[in-house]
Amino acid sequence: MPAHQPSESFILVASGSDFPLDNLPYGVFSTSANPTRRIGVAIGDQVLDLSALTDKFLNHELFIKNNKNVFAQSTLNDFMSLGRDAWATARQTLTRILSATEPDLRDDESLRGRAFVKQSDATMHLPCHIGDYTDFYSSREHATNVGTMFRGADNALPPNWLHLPIGYHGRASSIVVSGTDIRRPVGQTRPDESKPPVYGPCKALDFELEMAFFVGPGNPLGQPIPIEKAHEHIFGMVLMNDWSARDIQKWEYQPLGPFLGKSFATTISPWIVTMDALAPFLVDNVPQSPAVLPYLQHTDRFSYDIRLRVDLQGTDLFGQRPVSVSNFKYLYWTMKQQLAHHTSNGCNLRPGDLLGSGTISGPAKSERGSLLELSWGSKEPMDLGNGVTRTFLRDGDTVTLNGVCDNGSIRLGFGPCTGKVLPALEI
Amino acid sequence: MADSTFLQLEEASDFSFQNLPFGVFSTANKPIPRIGIAIGNWIMDLSELDCFSGPEMAKQSNVFREGELNAFMGLGRNAWHETRQTVQRVLSSAEGYLRDNGHLQKRTLINQDDAIMHVPARIGDFTDFSASKRHAENDRIMFTDKSQRILPNWDYMPVAYHSRASSVVVSGTDIRRPNGQYANEDGNVDSGPVFGPTKKLDFEMEIGALIGTKNALSQPISVDSADNHVFGFVLLNDWSARDLQSWEWNPLGPFLSKSFATTISPWVVTAAALEPFLCDPICLQDPQPLPYLRSKSIKTYDINLTTSLQTEGQTEMHYSSSVICQSNYKVMYWTLAQQIAHHTSNGCNLLPGDLIGSGTVSGPTYYSSGSLSELSERGTKPITLVDGQRRAFLHDGDEVIIRGWCEDKSVRIGFGECRGRVLHHRQHSPPPFP
Repeated sequence: MPAHQPSESFILVASGSDFPLDNLPYGVFSTSANPTRRIGVAIGDQVLDLSALTDKFLNHELFIKNNKNVFAQSTLNDFMSLGRDAWATARQTLTRILSATEPDLRDDESLRGRAFVKQSDATMHLPCHIGDYTDFYSSREHATNVGTMFRGADNALPPNWLHLPIGYHGRASSIVVSGTDIRRPVGQTRPDESKPPVYGPCKALDFELEMAFFVGPGNPLGQPIPIEKAHEHIFGMVLMNDWSARDIQKWEYQPLGPFLGKSFATTISPWIVTMDALAPFLVDNVPQSPAVLPYLQHTDRFSYDIRLRVDLQGTDLFGQRPVSVSNFKYLYWTMKQQLAHHTSNGCNLRPGDLLGSGTISGPAKSERGSLLELSWGSKEPMDLGNGVTRTFLRDGDTVTLNGVCDNGSIRLGFGPCTGKVLPALEI
Repeated sequence: MADSTFLQLEEASDFSFQNLPFGVFSTANKPIPRIGIAIGNWIMDLSELDCFSGPEMAKQSNVFREGELNAFMGLGRNAWHETRQTVQRVLSSAEGYLRDNGHLQKRTLINQDDAIMHVPARIGDFTDFSASKRHAENDRIMFTDKSQRILPNWDYMPVAYHSRASSVVVSGTDIRRPNGQYANEDGNVDSGPVFGPTKKLDFEMEIGALIGTKNALSQPISVDSADNHVFGFVLLNDWSARDLQSWEWNPLGPFLSKSFATTISPWVVTAAALEPFLCDPICLQDPQPLPYLRSKSIKTYDINLTTSLQTEGQTEMHYSSSVICQSNYKVMYWTLAQQIAHHTSNGCNLLPGDLIGSGTVSGPTYYSSGSLSELSERGTKPITLVDGQRRAFLHDGDEVIIRGWCEDKSVRIGFGECRGRVLHHRQHSPPPFP
């Protein structure tokens, strides 16, 4: 099969850009000139404002919902709800009109002037209204590391781990877009079990390297999505930092799961990279043993080679340091399995729901996706050079997640997922 | 203003003149959901009234044309207070505005039997707490097979988890028995789990609080100001699949065992209507809570709660004879104010429309247990129903009805019903287990 020739846009795409013509991720943005939130697509260093195209190129009846064009909305939920045919039609249209060889948009000077905005002039917002947010626990390495630290190597994985993709509901209201400052949380911890718990600023603030997918069409309550149809409900992916307060989490999490240790903030990258854009990067699924129950079985590939990196910047550090390098392909459970499991009891997913992968850790030490694992429960502080170490995050630290796909002929990325830690507020 | 309405109300109606709960309804001849007030057997359609002329509501009355309470709640306590006063005046026996206008009455007063009720708010997040010690102890025995008491954190914080907002349904919605994974009970320790319909379907009798006023991200709500953020209360049934819960809960908490459905009653009883029923909790908190959970005046509400179980094929029986448990909200160890303060202590932001589940309201006595799991001692001692049938857990066709009310010598207000009937599970393809 001939190698894919990446197509060219008339918009200049710098070499190494996250946003070539093969990507076309969706986001919601505004500008100081026009503060209305609207839908855009990233291309090179530009944003193509889709709300400016609803009369000319995106006026297909497929894009009308409740008598309104989905691209005229301030969130992506309606577009996501339309399903794969509409997504494919939109992608075809946008690919065509952005192509270097197509004059329709390229030569329409007036429309070009209105429809393009520099990314540096755009303020990004959450791309959709998130009705429910679920976080999974789908990295075997992460679960084994954490389990080993707390229960010993023999009892690392709980007995259910290999049979179902464990997940829990997270807090939707505190999901923020990349660039939002993160206030160190305050809460109850119990550092000394022989004494009562105490209340104060979190002393074990951590990041979690994750990815998450957005649900497209949902399912009615009481009607599970069978796994063979799960991909029809998966729109696209973002990077996600599941900021965690490990000391608050440790004291609270039994038996009802993590709660305040997570709900103070979750950051996502602003550009949703579609599953169509990710198709060239499909790889084999991680083999599963023991065999999973039939409702979770699928043979089609649904694992993706997405290279991930976490960079740390701090007031005591000169420049950024990579602290973790991992890959989405390490995950044991696939997104199809997560989605089918989530609806297996009849639970209803809705367009815009966010499903996080869980911390993505690889087999090597440098591939661990959290400081908890990288510093092995603060027993092995990370050496960042020049006498600087880290066990957990300090005030002033900035954590940036990066994701890139590169198969030698196409390279695309997710844009940054970043957040800076601010000191806790006075109690 | 008189302290009664010109409308003829049944004695001991839940929706007395002192109540005036808010709900979202639609009708056959006007299918658009909108906001109303329950009074006796009527609904007063607020979207049809032209009388909101006070400083808070004069330019805002379009909020009553919304299909959810969020916009109205977001206007804040002064707006809620002014609206309550306006509604009291309109319904008052001493005011002619509605009393003497047959035409207006026809437009604005709808028989509850002619209305379809909807979930009253768009629920951004639904959190469920654990605030009954007896219920927590029962859970501990059921899910860990240990007879040790509850974990130490329970005494220091109102433990909670995020639950599923999308599957909150209004009273009257049928509940499909969920399928799921659970441990094989064939006695073979090496058997993997099975997948199929839950065999341990249960109800949980709870109170739900609706947040009316938000807090900004990273700005906690103090325990002394928490009550100001609450708009009102509903009855809540936190349907649970105990076998699914046993298998999945470790380590990240209940998930699919809860997310298949949660039922709430349609009429939101306001904090204002509940004020006469403020009381001291019956539990003393020991150990003393940390300062952020300590309040100068620790208050809860005296709300009577009952759950009835009616089996398939029973003729409509008088509710009281099918009651299987009876309790009171005031038995809860943690108050709502403490739950809210804890929930936001890390900076988490609550939004109007957020739903806070109290946790199963199980009191100190056996008969006050708010779930079948406790009443049947985790299925080991099935209860006997009034028609002679026995129940360890719920059967298909069973209908669970939660009721709640407050009364003193002069006033009675009630919550209506929170009901749901269990439907047979959905056949899942492919076949569950070879």
